[in-house]
Amino acid sequence: MWRGIDPIMAFNGVPMKSQQRPLSPHLQIYKPQMTSVLSIGGRIMGAGLFVGSFMLVWWIAALAIGPHAYEIFMTFIHSWMGIILCTGWAFAFYYYVANGIRHLFWDLGYGYDLKTVYKTGWTVVIFSLIATAATFYHFFLKDLL
Amino acid sequence: MADFILPKNSRLRPGKLHKAAEGATNIRKFHVYRYNPDDKENPQVDTFEVDMDQCGSMVLDALIHIKSKMDGTLTFRRSCREGICGSCSMNVDGTNTLACTKAIDDIKGDVKVFPLPHMPVIKDLVPDLSAAYAQYASIKPWIQAEMPAEGARERLQSPEERKKLDGLWECILCFSCSTSCPSYWWNGDRYLGPAVLLQAHRFIQDSRDEKTEERLQDLEDPFKLYRCHTIMNCTNTCPKGLNPAASIGDIKKKIVAQKV
Repeated sequence: MWRGIDPIMAFNGVPMKSQQRPLSPHLQIYKPQMTSVLSIGGRIMGAGLFVGSFMLVWWIAALAIGPHAYEIFMTFIHSWMGIILCTGWAFAFYYYVANGIRHLFWDLGYGYDLKTVYKTGWTVVIFSLIATAATFYHFFLKDLL
Repeated sequence: MADFILPKNSRLRPGKLHKAAEGATNIRKFHVYRYNPDDKENPQVDTFEVDMDQCGSMVLDALIHIKSKMDGTLTFRRSCREGICGSCSMNVDGTNTLACTKAIDDIKGDVKVFPLPHMPVIKDLVPDLSAAYAQYASIKPWIQAEMPAEGARERLQSPEERKKLDGLWECILCFSCSTSCPSYWWNGDRYLGPAVLLQAHRFIQDSRDEKTEERLQDLEDPFKLYRCHTIMNCTNTCPKGLNPAASIGDIKKKIVAQKV
């Protein structure tokens, strides 16, 4: 009687484990492409935003504590380090929002066509770059001049 | 759990260089993954200098040339050489495709040929697909109908009903898509993967099938279906130009619609 394929015993009836088959290369050889890079990008930006959220906590705490604490916070934000971090978080934020909207459309059943995937993908990247540049221009450019 | 580094027995070691015959002027280099289960050594990448004046235009032609003229031990699956059997699916130039429909001229620089990614390797370019086939069997890839067909003849479909199967029936089960999916790499033991989910969709969409509800319920599982994170590598790599990601999206939508 046909019982379907038993993946463990499929090859010559010898259990796969005892054969110690090697695993074929994956990350090591697969070409990075729009699809996978944007996907892992979303995860990385999400992780970055998590770290960035502590900054918000610091901001609120500084507001609550008083003018001196707020002064320290603002000095950090407008230091080189602060500017780099905030610009990075701005990019992560815009990317995460734009990519999230892309995912919402997928969940509604739109945008699966490969051409659309590339178009919306580039839109996410270009939008995040422009929005980050605008944010930088608005808040930080004067610190550098 | 995701394991980003290859296990010890799978790491590559340098391989052999097979030179082209003297006098060959039109040479392309092919770097080919080799693994021999008999010599108990790690896999290696051999380099073959293929004389393109002696060889056809597709990657499969080059592999056949290597096997018949340079190294008879090179092992790979092939059958139809025209993209309809799905046997020669492998990773060529960094993406999964059918060796028989991939033109060598479309590849820049040296040609890299590996087995389908993140699969147990039986020998050289031959991966063990039995787990993937078992997953395929698990979605019951046949029409389930209890009502007898009208008038003891075939079950008829309207042109509209038939149209719903377009883009689904063409799948040749080469598993290029499943093995291009990072989510399938990390969770392939429980996530069904794009190839099998496209097949599941093919029977969900079939007007002659009477078990649509059961099929959807069976797929509603955190791992079987929902490990798809819409990465879209599957659609990007399908050598038949199909769209497994759209199929998975439609299954997700149908499951929600079923509950409303």
